Amino acid sequence: MSSQIDTLVKMINQIADNAPRQETPEATAEAVASHLKKFWAKPMKEEMRAYVEAGGVGLNEVAAEAALRL
Amino acid sequence: MLHIFDPNTRTDRDLGTPPPALTGNTVSLSIDGHAIDVPEGTSVLRAAALAGIQIPKLCASDNLDAFGSCRLCAVEIEGRRGMPASCTTPVAEGMNVHTQTDRVAKLRRNVMELYISDHPLDCLTCPANGDCELQDMAGAVGLREVRYGYEGENHLVAEKDTSNPYFTFDASKCIVCSRCVRACEEVQGTFALTIDGRGFDSKVSAGQNDDFMDSECVSCGACVQACPTATLMENSVIEQGQPEHSVVTTCAYCGVGCSFKAEMKGNELVRMVPFKDGHANHGHSCVKGRFAFGYATHPDRLTKPMIRDSIDDPWQEVSWEEAMQFAADRIKAIQAKYGRDSVGGITSSRCTNEEAYLVQKLVRTAFGNNNTDTCARVCHSPTGYGLKQTLGESAGTQTFDSVMQSDVIVVIGANPTDAHPVFASQLRRRLRQGAKLIVADPRHIDLMTTPHGGDALHLPLRPGTNVALINALAHVVVSEGLEDRLFIAERCDPAEYAAWNAFIREERHSPEATESITGVPAESVRAAARLYGSARNGAIYYGLGVTEHSQGSTMVMGIANLALATGNIGREGVGVNPLRGQNNVQGSCDMGSFPHELPGYQHVAQDGPRKAFEDAWGVTIDNEPGLRIPNMFDAAIDGSFRGLYVQGEDIAQSDPNTQHVEKALSSLECLIVQDLFLNETAKYAHVLLPGSSFLEKDGTFTNAERRINRVRKVMPPLAGKEDWQITQDLANALGYAMHYDHPEQIMAEIASLTPSFHGVTYQKLDELGSIQWPCNEAYPNGMPIMHEQDFPIGKGRFVVTDYVATTERANRKFPLLLTTGRILSQYNVGAQTRRTSNQSWHDQDWLELHPHDAEERGINEGDWVGLTSRAGDTVLQAKISTRMQPGVVYTTFHHPVSGANVITTDNSDWATNCPEYKVTAVQCEKVAQPSAWQERHRAQHKKQWGLLKTTEPTEPVMK
Repeated sequence: MSSQIDTLVKMINQIADNAPRQETPEATAEAVASHLKKFWAKPMKEEMRAYVEAGGVGLNEVAAEAALRL
Repeated sequence: MLHIFDPNTRTDRDLGTPPPALTGNTVSLSIDGHAIDVPEGTSVLRAAALAGIQIPKLCASDNLDAFGSCRLCAVEIEGRRGMPASCTTPVAEGMNVHTQTDRVAKLRRNVMELYISDHPLDCLTCPANGDCELQDMAGAVGLREVRYGYEGENHLVAEKDTSNPYFTFDASKCIVCSRCVRACEEVQGTFALTIDGRGFDSKVSAGQNDDFMDSECVSCGACVQACPTATLMENSVIEQGQPEHSVVTTCAYCGVGCSFKAEMKGNELVRMVPFKDGHANHGHSCVKGRFAFGYATHPDRLTKPMIRDSIDDPWQEVSWEEAMQFAADRIKAIQAKYGRDSVGGITSSRCTNEEAYLVQKLVRTAFGNNNTDTCARVCHSPTGYGLKQTLGESAGTQTFDSVMQSDVIVVIGANPTDAHPVFASQLRRRLRQGAKLIVADPRHIDLMTTPHGGDALHLPLRPGTNVALINALAHVVVSEGLEDRLFIAERCDPAEYAAWNAFIREERHSPEATESITGVPAESVRAAARLYGSARNGAIYYGLGVTEHSQGSTMVMGIANLALATGNIGREGVGVNPLRGQNNVQGSCDMGSFPHELPGYQHVAQDGPRKAFEDAWGVTIDNEPGLRIPNMFDAAIDGSFRGLYVQGEDIAQSDPNTQHVEKALSSLECLIVQDLFLNETAKYAHVLLPGSSFLEKDGTFTNAERRINRVRKVMPPLAGKEDWQITQDLANALGYAMHYDHPEQIMAEIASLTPSFHGVTYQKLDELGSIQWPCNEAYPNGMPIMHEQDFPIGKGRFVVTDYVATTERANRKFPLLLTTGRILSQYNVGAQTRRTSNQSWHDQDWLELHPHDAEERGINEGDWVGLTSRAGDTVLQAKISTRMQPGVVYTTFHHPVSGANVITTDNSDWATNCPEYKVTAVQCEKVAQPSAWQERHRAQHKKQWGLLKTTEPTEPVMK
């Protein structure tokens, strides 16, 4: 894992906290995932996907759910 | 391909008095036997000018209200007694005016005789020679003698005031026409000048007998431009003489985008005069645009391409070809070793549209990835995101002129008198006409003390609580029934509105509930919401105090929600208006500089637009977004990103958490910097490509109103190439062929691929003067006011905007909040303005703090103060100021040695990574010496200049 992952974790958690709230946590996670798909570079997404699959320590609930959808 | 714009067209003539307020009625009259129809309320002087008849005048000018003091414009009107002044006499139906009769000729000669009896007769050596209205009028009236003699009491020995570095006030030449005083009041709105004394003792005075520099004068130069004699004169004209030709071009400072006549002597710029037909500025300017152009010919300018293997090596001057080959070889080697995505580029928001377009094209073709970003990342990227989500287009909705129809003006997180001064003058004019002002800002900004502008309603919120405040305002609008229900029903998505309505009604958003978060008294919030919500026309203007927060994007959407809820969208006088920082922030965003968007905000994942670019460019474009600037830094430190091409941006000074940026830049194997000067970033570079100033190239800038203005070359590039040529050469060296002969061809390509630019051509720009995009088949002449009928996304979209506090909080260790901003005389990182006499106003950054915070720490005015945050520490000199609220400190970031961004953290906006410059928890204490970073910076500065030149660095270092 690269040193960049700390920043990525901070970023995805922040997106999960701030993304406009949807009716269900799943819908919010989907919105977060679609935000990441739209704005994150491929290496960042790949790294996050690998990180969540490896346990995803430090990711909040919505962020972890969104990372799994990448 | 030659485009010469002749400013001496009828649009630039002085018609004597301003146009009247339009009533729709026309009046027919006869002037010297010529029949003419003019709008009701027109002055006789203006009517004559419209008919091509010049009536002599001295105190009149069509950017100032008629004054009627010089009596030179007297005329005879049949059936009326005496000889009325034509400037103050409105036309009447059937009027017969005679402008040249024996009677008025005699009167005018007498008037001139009196003026000249107390005026130095040094015309041949006078700096106004060749451009003196007094001399012209003496000629026009046929003055041949002065019967009073010159020996009487006079003002000929009056002293000159040379305190201002840009102009001289020579009172001996003053005719007390009051044009300067009126320009200061009516055009600029500062009211710094006055006529002191009465009768013979009358004299122009800056404030209470101060000299200009010590007065409230902001050196906008409106008085200098208004002066009909040599009384107020640019020092450059005094030194160089009168210009012989002029070219209309666009200022390269802030996002207002003022048009100027660059008045030239050969290739030498004598002075900049704001262009009367400039659609953004209408003949006004500020101290930067009018006077601070000397950097363009400063000895610090880089004039030769240079290369070096390591950043510890001396720079080696090489030919353009060698530099390009060196850069291309390095980039290719990096990509061969670390992969295609290991390099990227940054486009400049100070360069032209065509140049920004070319850099992102180079990245997407020659580099073969989407790793392109722009300095808009660190200022208005949340605007692009937020407005696209809600209104469907990443841009402000209005023209600047629209403010003249506003009844309530809300300014949030912006400081227009300093950062957008020419628009601020227009705003102040509207405030003097009675519009109400609401200011949401942690600080007391100067706009709130607009002379004759009424009282402003101040919402002094705590930094970082914007969203809580905007939600509270919206809560009041909804709960007190101030919504525009018809607008919402017709124009907005109903389901999203219903969800938002339920959200915003929740009691937790009420002003009373949020008062403990924002610190703004609930009553003030309610008053502001009622004022805006019930205004006929309510307009919101905002700046980086909105965007540069962890919730920047949320706040932009909150602003759009409020405007939609109150129906303040889609007509004159209303709207959501981002005030853009740099001259071409709007343009660089429009031009596809962001890593996820092709020109015209077309996402790289959209197959249709991407295919069009792929076909035109002959490459395959990645359908995944590339890295943003902060991501590039992280990837560089991580080792996966190794090469960067930076066009005209000083990321080492302007981006937050300097030490992090320095670490990233030091990690690069190839940093290519294209700039005017050895800036902070260039100290980490391997290739230096000397760029060109805005005076040295053709192209276009797009201002904060989406207005595309032409930039016209007035002198050859100092280093031989315009910036677009440099990028083209680099692309060719990298093996991607580009063959443009002129930026016009680049614009043609942009227009062919960008729907909102389909109709833009240089020819149309010359014909219309400027164009506000979208300009296409549906809107052939552009679109001044957006969203009049519908939104690009159909319905306006309300977005739920929860307040989420930033993680950057004050605590015991860091009890104060630092917020940063700009000052009038300096611009951004100061690379340009620090190399001009604007230094006279602000030669260092100060730390402003409230007397209470200062007293607690034993800090006095002028003390050196150590400022520490979680990111770093620096030292600044203290300025005690009650414009701050207790607990909040402020500084500017114009001087590299201040290290303002050593303090700021790498926190950023959740949606766009725009840095949170406006909130940093800090502590300050009295100190005796500079910080460790400053010591290192000073050593690095000295070393890098040593590697460049044998001369000593000319940039100021800490005293």
